[in-house]
Amino acid sequence: MMKIKVTVNGLEYERDVAEHRTLLHFIRDDLGLSGTKEGCGMGECGACTVFLNGKVVNACLVLAAEADGASIETIEGQAGSFGLSDIQKAFEKNHAVQCGFCTPGMVMSVKELLRHNGKPTPEAIKEAIEGNFCRCTGYTQIIEAVLDLTGQGDLKGELKHV
Amino acid sequence: MLYEFRYRAPKTASEMIRLLDDHRDDGKILAGGTDLLPNIRDGNIRPAVVIDAKKIQSADSIAWSASEGLVMGNAVTINDVLRCREARELFPVLCDCARQLASHQIRNRATVAGNVVNASPCADMAPALLCLDAFAVLESASGTRQVPFSEFFTGVKHTVLKAGEFLEKIIIPASAAGARGYYLKLKRIAGHDLGIIGVLMVRRNNGIRFGVSSAAPTPVLVDGMLDKDGVDAAIVKVLAAIKPIDDIRASGEYRAFMASTYIRRLWQEIK
Ligand SMILES: Cc1cc2nc3c(=O)[nH]c(=O)nc-3n(C[C@H](O)[C@H](O)[C@H](O)COP(=O)(O)OP(=O)(O)OC[C@H]3O[C@@H](n4cnc5c(N)ncnc54)[C@H](O)[C@@H]3O)c2cc1C
Repeated sequence: MMKIKVTVNGLEYERDVAEHRTLLHFIRDDLGLSGTKEGCGMGECGACTVFLNGKVVNACLVLAAEADGASIETIEGQAGSFGLSDIQKAFEKNHAVQCGFCTPGMVMSVKELLRHNGKPTPEAIKEAIEGNFCRCTGYTQIIEAVLDLTGQGDLKGELKHV
Repeated sequence: MLYEFRYRAPKTASEMIRLLDDHRDDGKILAGGTDLLPNIRDGNIRPAVVIDAKKIQSADSIAWSASEGLVMGNAVTINDVLRCREARELFPVLCDCARQLASHQIRNRATVAGNVVNASPCADMAPALLCLDAFAVLESASGTRQVPFSEFFTGVKHTVLKAGEFLEKIIIPASAAGARGYYLKLKRIAGHDLGIIGVLMVRRNNGIRFGVSSAAPTPVLVDGMLDKDGVDAAIVKVLAAIKPIDDIRASGEYRAFMASTYIRRLWQEIK
């Protein structure tokens, strides 16, 4: 066991963790923040995507011990007192959520993309969410949500719905 | 993680070497963890101690100088490479390989050092490091040694690294700056996937060379080609140097076929 201190969504936590515990299990089971999902547990699906010190990572491939001193952001930190974040609203409006399992991770990856690129092309959006699998909604609505949010709604008609 | 281990995070290279020496048989270095942690989870390896190499001071530094070249500490990630202006301007082929490695989240964690020490035949950074005459600086209790990547890989998942030794940095010599080329990587899907075959063609003042991944037990370097030899001779030479196998991703025959297709495309493209 070791003691770690982390800041999650702006709140500080100090906890004892087993040294082999993943950051994902720490977030979900120890902190009770179950918005971050566990899909494959192998870094393939992106359902566990969170921000670690300002960069998106697969929380299943990080040890809680490694995150000692780090700042973490999860889906629970997105909505503010005035409601959903802009990205969340765009997902809702564009029907980019069906079962919702991939959504927390998708929202994180989109947030990282928009930090560096205010007007991403459909190609850039695809690349940014390459590590996030969706198995029901379809990627098109998700890409459309991002285009809509970035004032490129006119490009939406060009995407194929499958 | 179902399997228990202890976690250590040395702050200096000498502390790292001491820990490695103490745990020659039961210790494993942790970099980005994108190979190591899935392997532990699957039960393929069972280290008693996991030694995090990322907290070593300045291990995450990537710096260019005309005297030393591009020096990458052991904790430099794939996305650190892509964010480095000198890497993009002076070593575009390194960045072309980096961009095609895994997904954005993985690239934020995966290190260049972990990619080469893991020594998968499909390691995407290997073709660039081979073609750019890069070398590894290895540290252990018995001292420092430098190994060029052309001598680094010894087999599938095997390298020259000895027990108790760690890769401290990777250096691309300044003489390789400006080398031009592209990396073509064949995958099963358009998104992130391990390669079926990867061919990097690099043009440097002294000629043409190829770095090939997923085509032999180790990544392969084929050098010493000139324009006047022609593309057909280049294909013959590369095919003679690789030994593609049949596996779940593709047949060896298909891999060889696609390697020659890619060489032909690259030869036309890179003037
Ligand atoms: C979903 C997914 C997709 C992937 N796609 C690709 C891909 O497209 N292309 C590709 O090439 N790879 C891919 N990989 C594999 C992996 O991400 C890369 O090989 C990565 O570069 C490994 O680096 P790491 O820092 O995560 O290494 P780790 O997993 O931390 O370590 C890998 C190995 O190297 C050893 N090691 C690490 N650092 C040192 C050091 N400084 N000295 C000595 N030993 C050391 C470790 O002990 C371990 O044995 C993928 C992995 C996943 C999970």
